[in-house]
Amino acid sequence: MASASSALRPPLIAGEKTPAQVTKDICSVLDSKPTALWWSGFLVSLAFLLLGVVAVTYQVAVGIGTWGLNSTVGWAFDITNFVFWVGIGHAGTLISAVLFLLRQQWRTSVNRAAEAMTIFAVICAGIFPVIHMGRPWLAHWMIPYPNMRGPLWVNFRSPLVWDFFAILTYFTISLTFWYVGMLPDLATIRDRAEPGFRKKLFGVLALGWDGSYRTWIRYETLYKLLAGLGTPLVISVHTIVSWDFATSVIPGWHTTIFPPYFVAGAIFSGMSMVLTLMIVARKTMGLEDYITVGHLEKMAKLTLAVSLMVGLAYLTEVFTALYSGNPYEQFAFANRMFGPLGWAYWIMVTCNVGISQLFWFRQVRTHWGAVFCIAILANVGMWFERFVIIVSSLERDFLPSSWADYTPTSIEVATLLGSFGLFFTCFLLFCRFVPVIAISEVKGVLNVGRRREAPPVISASPQPNPAEGEGVPA
Amino acid sequence: MAENSKNHWRSLPRERDNPAVVDAGARDEFPEPPPAGAVQLDRRGFLQAAGFALAGVAATGCQRAPVEKAIPYLVKPVEVTPGRAYHYASTCGACPAGCGLLVKNRDGRPIKLEGDPEHPLSRGGLCAAGQASILGLYDSRRLGAPLIAGREASWEEVDADVTASLDRIEAEGGAVRFLTASIHSPTELASIESFLGRFGDARHIMYEPLSSSAILDAHQRTHGVRILPRYRFDRAKVILGFDADFLGTWISPVEYTAAYRSVRNVDTESNGAESNDTRRAYHVQFESRLSITGGKADRRFRIAPGEAGAALTELASRLAEKARTSFEKGSAPGSSVPSDQLVSLAERLWSAKGQALVVCGAQDVRVQILCNFINHLLDSYGSTIELSPASNQRGDDDQALAELLEEIRDGKVDALFLAGVNPLLDLPLGTDFPEQLGRVPLAVSFAQRNDETSEACRFTCPVPHYLESWGDCEPVAGVVTLQQPCIQPFGNPRPLLESLAAWSGESQSGESKSSYDIVRATWQQRFSGAGEAGDFDAFWKRAIHDGSITVTAAPTASPSEAIIGFKSDAVRAVSAARPIPEGRYALSLYAKPAMLDGTHAYNAWLQELPDPITKIAWDNYVCLSSAAASDLDVHQGDVVSISSPEIKDAVIELPVVLQPGQHDRTAAIALGYGAKASERFAGLGPKWLEKRDTVGPNGRVGVSAARFLQVAGGTLQHSLTTVVIERTARKHLLATTQTHHTIALPEHLAPRGAERREVVEETTLAEQWQRLHSPHAAHQEHHGSLWKQDHEYTGHRWGMAIDLDACTGCSACVIACQVENNIPVVGKDEVSRRRDMHWIRIDRYYSGDDDDLEVAHQPMLCQHCENAPCETVCPVLATVHSEEGLNHQIYNRCVGTRYCANNCPYKVRRFNWFDYAHDDRLENLVLNPDVTVRSRGVMEKCSLCVQRIQEAKIEAKRSGVALTDGSIRTACEQSCPASAIHFGDMNDPGSRLAGLLENPRRYRVLEELNVAPAVNYLKIVRDGKPDKQGAPDHG
Amino acid sequence: MSARQLLGFFDDEQDILDATRAVRRNGFVVSDVYAPYAVHGLDKAMGLQPSKLPRVCFALGLLGAALKVWFEIWTSAVDWPINVGGKPLNSLPAFVPVTFEVMVLFAGMSTVFAFVLVARLYPGRRATPPDPAVSDYRFVLVIDETDAAFDPEVLHKLLRKFRVRAIEERVTTDQESAR
Repeated sequence: MASASSALRPPLIAGEKTPAQVTKDICSVLDSKPTALWWSGFLVSLAFLLLGVVAVTYQVAVGIGTWGLNSTVGWAFDITNFVFWVGIGHAGTLISAVLFLLRQQWRTSVNRAAEAMTIFAVICAGIFPVIHMGRPWLAHWMIPYPNMRGPLWVNFRSPLVWDFFAILTYFTISLTFWYVGMLPDLATIRDRAEPGFRKKLFGVLALGWDGSYRTWIRYETLYKLLAGLGTPLVISVHTIVSWDFATSVIPGWHTTIFPPYFVAGAIFSGMSMVLTLMIVARKTMGLEDYITVGHLEKMAKLTLAVSLMVGLAYLTEVFTALYSGNPYEQFAFANRMFGPLGWAYWIMVTCNVGISQLFWFRQVRTHWGAVFCIAILANVGMWFERFVIIVSSLERDFLPSSWADYTPTSIEVATLLGSFGLFFTCFLLFCRFVPVIAISEVKGVLNVGRRREAPPVISASPQPNPAEGEGVPA
Repeated sequence: MAENSKNHWRSLPRERDNPAVVDAGARDEFPEPPPAGAVQLDRRGFLQAAGFALAGVAATGCQRAPVEKAIPYLVKPVEVTPGRAYHYASTCGACPAGCGLLVKNRDGRPIKLEGDPEHPLSRGGLCAAGQASILGLYDSRRLGAPLIAGREASWEEVDADVTASLDRIEAEGGAVRFLTASIHSPTELASIESFLGRFGDARHIMYEPLSSSAILDAHQRTHGVRILPRYRFDRAKVILGFDADFLGTWISPVEYTAAYRSVRNVDTESNGAESNDTRRAYHVQFESRLSITGGKADRRFRIAPGEAGAALTELASRLAEKARTSFEKGSAPGSSVPSDQLVSLAERLWSAKGQALVVCGAQDVRVQILCNFINHLLDSYGSTIELSPASNQRGDDDQALAELLEEIRDGKVDALFLAGVNPLLDLPLGTDFPEQLGRVPLAVSFAQRNDETSEACRFTCPVPHYLESWGDCEPVAGVVTLQQPCIQPFGNPRPLLESLAAWSGESQSGESKSSYDIVRATWQQRFSGAGEAGDFDAFWKRAIHDGSITVTAAPTASPSEAIIGFKSDAVRAVSAARPIPEGRYALSLYAKPAMLDGTHAYNAWLQELPDPITKIAWDNYVCLSSAAASDLDVHQGDVVSISSPEIKDAVIELPVVLQPGQHDRTAAIALGYGAKASERFAGLGPKWLEKRDTVGPNGRVGVSAARFLQVAGGTLQHSLTTVVIERTARKHLLATTQTHHTIALPEHLAPRGAERREVVEETTLAEQWQRLHSPHAAHQEHHGSLWKQDHEYTGHRWGMAIDLDACTGCSACVIACQVENNIPVVGKDEVSRRRDMHWIRIDRYYSGDDDDLEVAHQPMLCQHCENAPCETVCPVLATVHSEEGLNHQIYNRCVGTRYCANNCPYKVRRFNWFDYAHDDRLENLVLNPDVTVRSRGVMEKCSLCVQRIQEAKIEAKRSGVALTDGSIRTACEQSCPASAIHFGDMNDPGSRLAGLLENPRRYRVLEELNVAPAVNYLKIVRDGKPDKQGAPDHG
Repeated sequence: MSARQLLGFFDDEQDILDATRAVRRNGFVVSDVYAPYAVHGLDKAMGLQPSKLPRVCFALGLLGAALKVWFEIWTSAVDWPINVGGKPLNSLPAFVPVTFEVMVLFAGMSTVFAFVLVARLYPGRRATPPDPAVSDYRFVLVIDETDAAFDPEVLHKLLRKFRVRAIEERVTTDQESAR
């Protein structure tokens, strides 16, 4: 059916690939030895990861006091990083689930990597709520399990408990979605592999997938259902994250606009991160045919759209503050823009709303270098968005007497770097061991925008039965 | 037994649910196992089992085997019930003011000092220093044994040496000098007298670093007796203060604060007064630096330190006219105070004739004489100033001191005894003084610690803490209080009385007399001497029980018959203000309410207590007005070097603090810093990567400015020196607990119309009067909720009301809370990171400008909101609400997300960022067994002294009577000298609190948030001046 | 039971689609088709019923939500009622977020388990595709021979029209045929 309007659409996949070639192209990466580029990237990431491990160990051993927090500013880098990473994760779900439901077939080239990104990002995010506790070894008290304390359950009114459940669900569902999506490809690797450990391993992982179409049918249904569940889930997760702040009483936090604002921001940062990763991947792994400039452009457009939503959120926020007539709220925003952290606010506005406007120009959208830079800046901006919201609001709340300033310590910076180390280490390993591109899905869209040679005309073949609703083969 | 099983169950789940306890987390969950005693001290089970002695064994490290002391507990003392507190009446020895104490004992050891409500002077209050002095009792660095030339010795050796050389000196008729701080203990005075009696050339000299001897000298000149009068602020209607911080540090602050409050309270019955203006005492303060007294004044004038005389001369001349007395006021007025102000002030004083009181802190006898003259013109003597019975709280004689120092320099002194003084720290002595002191043949220092002076003396005789020994006090003639030991002395100190007895040859009989016998003997003699009726034992028992009793002033104590009428011939005008040379600043050396003269420099609690005005802890610094700072081009924290051409080689370097309300040509430095005792804080605070040190470059806290004191005109002057200030390149980290100083928002950020946050509300006398006495008194409009109450409070409902008009900011409550609730000391670095742990803090806001500065102090503690934002957000239910309206914090459930603190509009929650170690075993004896010592990583905050509430409830239940209002007093409330804090049951219509809630001044901070705090505030009452609301504020 | 099956091997998506249709139209029974990826329309061509997984998803999602709401109300208002910030013991609105998350978790996971159950996929299962290249590019059409209407000649002709790469007969004795 896709071939019906083929003349008008450029091919999704360049280079007239046949299914066999697709398999070869994508799996060859896994068979070959890692390149020097990969190794260097991996080692650097690993180094950062170790730095982070050291920092966190030290902090857990000595105390949260090794962070720059104080009685007034109880959260800063920790929760900033948490929200940042959760946000990154969201683009993965968006691409794999939402675009799937919207029948955006170009997603097939990027969804696998995006989903992987989601999982690793959520892992990074999940670490911070635990280590930010004064007594992380009691983190399991967040779980409402029967105990000898009464039993004393948890406070289901607390957004932190909501967070706990949201992140848990989000991680589980994302992981499942990713794995289920990989089943056919795992089978492909299994069948290509020479007998031996690798074959056995992937044999187990593929759960004995044999490509029977009866399974394919159920598989498609399952995939739709998961996508259908993932879409509201991704929105709920960041909504709940935003409630950590929205349900509080602190001026600058207590805002009803936060849920949509945060979701938009999350997707914005996520899209930027996907762009970053995809550009790296296609360059380093020679996947230009699969991740084409067309893909970059499509994602750039999407990013632009979300960045406009983010900009709208910023404006609305300020308007609400002014219009509310609430002096605390008004001061909070004046302070956010022109107070001690004003510089951070303007970084955030520039990176998130300003620079991304360049995506209006086709030349920019299609120039991978430009896209790369803008994507990086967008991520910087989004990190600062969370930092500004959290810290500037806490620094200047109700009683002037308790106003205090915040400066991060070396430990906090190391922890942030460590989280990036963890993320990229995981991602690079992922590139080595499973297909970065959903092989079976790409095969499905090979014909999109491609003219296929006419089949032999068969007199005996009758006209299709309307009941079956099949299109005439072109 | 029930207790036991409860403990058992309580502890079981903790083990089970903490696998972490056995691995990584172990050290953090249970800080390194402290000594058995200290651990069990916060376990009730232990308290049932053991008394003090056992703890003593574990804690003191057996300097003196207390094992046999454990045996008496087999026969339990009648009043000692383990686990129950009992109180001894005693007298505070933290300063010569002699406030009354109730020493709260638990299991044989004092754990808390409370003011004695029945004490005629202090009336139940107790200052920060007094509260904190209990820490000195458990100071492991106190001397346990006498030192001879620095090495430990036995008392026998000391006695032998000293008596030998004393006999020699007696034979040679050498000069014996006894230098002490102000002493008003009849027994001590008597025994010193008798001790010195055997020597031909002997003198007993008292001094105070912050001397008041000019006042005594002035009365010598004007009234013929060298005494300190008793100031009766409680009888004054107009109060005039000249550089006298009588609410903070001057002579007897607690007594004065209570008295001051009694005439400033506008809620009391208006006895016949037709308006608040006449009902409430009007207070004007002239001062060079901002003191908390100046902060409470209705009108405050900035004057240079040397300017008081000129201002007083102006007033004197005006009043002399009215009194038709001759007073030639000499040349042109040298006062910068606008004369119309002085005229109206004179009017006001005159109209309050007989009810006016003028006090002056200047150390210039001529000025003090003027002050006396004015008081004389105003008929203050006999009403607001009492010469008989006079006060004994100061006996310092700087003339004698000057002579003594001279003699020491010339090597004319053969025997020098120093008791309770540390001249090497607090007197302006040359660097060569130590060896001069060394050259004194017999130099004996009675001290608790091996301080600067003791080091220079051959003999150091450790004296016990005042909670360890018998003593008596007579702060005001006729007001007699006793000091009784509440615990066996740590180490082997010997009271001054016993040493003197041993050395004055009275101990030839063999056994030396105990201080108990000596004190009792004195009183026996005095009792019979004064011809008191009744039997002495009854009198003695009553005295010990009540702590204080009033007797007819003994003839020795107040030479009333010697007092002669006012001698006006001594009065001279001091017309010209002392000039400040160009390019210099007048230096005003002052004392901080907590640190005083440095006697308490060893005390971590006081070091960490933020100064009520500057809000800076762990340092002294030079205060400059913003004008002066801009002249010098220095900013807060810049280190400047201060030197004086008048005093050679006296140069110190201190950080600058910009102080609103300070005179532009004045620099103010606090005394009492840079003490050797503060070297102990070198290692204080949590140790980690980016830790910064608590002590300064000199290895001590702050820098001593005593070199700039001057002995001139027969007095030790603290504000005579003028100094040159030069900026250095360096900066110094100041540990500030409040960085934004006004209620106003920064100009460039403030929303129009909301420049000022109404967290401290003010009213005016007129308004208050009208609202109190208008037929339909304005009632609080209650912002009702649309929704029905989800949780009804049927039983008790605890609440609090804090009278901001009464609060002086003295910070006694902060220390009281710290002692009561085992609040850790965290060190300068943590404080500078805004991690001070005090559960109650005093917010200080300025408004107005330098020339007309208004100061507001607001004690801020957990507001126990009915709709507490902190509770909703806690994921693990570690902070919840009780049926009695308390906001509970459950330490062992807290996982430390800090969400509650973030969501607290008042920011009163405190987090244990580290393991704030309690590793000084002896010091741990001061811990309150009823309050958990919090571990690392948990949130804590004010509990409204829930342990006291429970204790009272249990007691009421036991004795089967209903809980009476006032039977529960929180630590802060109990200690407040101005009784500004009132705790009570809001559901009890008859309670004091319920009454205060109806007061038109009552409001609640951030009421608009509808968190419904249980802590209420009463507005500050300002004098009739136009209301400051909305006025531009400066910080 | 044992089954004689005829396998047709194809290389092109469109061919297998057309072939399947044609084979069924000519009355043969298509027992299964093996494909490297989901070919759209093939299910209709084979005449397969849509999967019933959505019902599982819906039911268990609902169950999860119900359980969670009950649990939240029970813990906060019944088992140990605590006054938290003056909020009502049963603060239903505050319970919604967690309920939603648990619902999604139940729905999602249960569907996945249902899928592996009905598709009989499990670790260690021996995959027996008729052609190892099925997971690469090969399409295989499996036709039951145990059936009256079966006529090899007709079938061979028919399949050749659709550029069949190869045709071969197999006798399967394992449960594979049951599919």
